[in-house]
Amino acid sequence: MGYDWDFATILQNWPVLWVGLKGTIVIFLVTVTLGLSGGLVVGMGRYSHLKLFRWPASTFVEVFRNTPVLVQIIWFYFAFPLLTGIEVDPFLAAVLGISLNTMAFSAEIYRAGIQSIERSQWEAGKAIGMTYAQTMRRIILPVAIKRVLPALTNRGIEVFKMSTLASVVAYVETLNQAKLIADLNFNPIESYTAVALIFFAVLYPVVQATYVLERMLRKSDM
Amino acid sequence: MIRLFRCGVCASMEWNFLAVLSDADMLLLGLLNTLKVTAVALAFGIPLGLLLALSRLSTLRPLSAVAAFIIEFFRTTPPLVQLFWFFFALPILIDVSMTPFIAAIVTFSIQSSAFFAEVFRGGILSIDKGQWEGAKAIGMNYRQSLQRVILPQAVKRMIPAFMERAIELLKTTTLVSTVAYTDLMYQANDLAQKTFRPLEVYTVVAVIYFLLIFVFSQLSIAVEHRLARSGESTVR
Repeated sequence: MGYDWDFATILQNWPVLWVGLKGTIVIFLVTVTLGLSGGLVVGMGRYSHLKLFRWPASTFVEVFRNTPVLVQIIWFYFAFPLLTGIEVDPFLAAVLGISLNTMAFSAEIYRAGIQSIERSQWEAGKAIGMTYAQTMRRIILPVAIKRVLPALTNRGIEVFKMSTLASVVAYVETLNQAKLIADLNFNPIESYTAVALIFFAVLYPVVQATYVLERMLRKSDM
Repeated sequence: MIRLFRCGVCASMEWNFLAVLSDADMLLLGLLNTLKVTAVALAFGIPLGLLLALSRLSTLRPLSAVAAFIIEFFRTTPPLVQLFWFFFALPILIDVSMTPFIAAIVTFSIQSSAFFAEVFRGGILSIDKGQWEGAKAIGMNYRQSLQRVILPQAVKRMIPAFMERAIELLKTTTLVSTVAYTDLMYQANDLAQKTFRPLEVYTVVAVIYFLLIFVFSQLSIAVEHRLARSGESTVR
């Protein structure tokens, strides 16, 4: 264990790492927004009584939940362009893979939330003359989303961790930049430790906040 | 212009699975290695998870704090970063020769154990306090109560959550391809380069993963339904 830790090289390369951090933040914001909002649409489709909506939504969810994200990212990077003729850069491949995966997982969360609402809420909505869409938007969804908030936060945490997979197709994010620093300065220990610590420092408070949120929601009447 | 572009594409657009099929043994080897990594990581990850859970539940403050830290650390850092750390950094630190397989096993055992620990903890905490008291009343010590009374009940409740985590682990093992372990994903990259048929290769591999994981998911749903019928609530 006679290794001398030297984080000075990391600090010297801070601008390199900073570029990566910005890349991580950008891809996280894009994928989490697309994934969680798209998931709501798919989740409502899964809940629908109409086969026209339920079937495509269910197929989508099964396909994207039952394949690894890395396979999805690589498929979108290498195979998708051949199929469609659309040029796909690393950013787009990672965004497609991660957001579609997140859509599928969050769709199931939203669906569980919607299903957990008592039937009488629907009946009450109908009784005061609301349509299906109105009841869903004004009565069901506000409560359903509140109930599944901890699960959605957990998804968000997963998405943040998943963003490192974008490095596999050479999108410039934190891990990719750490690899660069490690290769140039021969300091893989410090580089990868720094990345691990950065992720821990960001996510640990979020995880703790999720616990608090869970406790608060359990206490509030629902 | 658009037409020209499209024709440049359509040459490679014809699906041709022949190249993939003639090298099916390559993918088969990859599949076996994927299953091997998953199985070995599970074999280490589950007992380690139990150990972490018991430590976290311990009344000894330092022990419980250390276990909590390990669990949280491995749950909040990306598995790919952990893998790179164990593969590139650890050999320098402790002077061992690291192979992709060992790095994968170490990473996924510890990573999954952190998640299994939370499943175990949830399961153990879900058992009614009276069970502990009952065991104590008939003269069992902590170890005996845990082994004979608490765990048998807790484990039954945890089975669905376990299966879900195991499926997650199976999906996560694709990461080992990045440190050149010959799992299914790595073999796919190799085959795609060899045959110049990325579309077919990656599609076939996605389908293989889908079938594999879909079967396990359906199995876990079936088990869950059965447990629900036998009156066991599930712990997530």
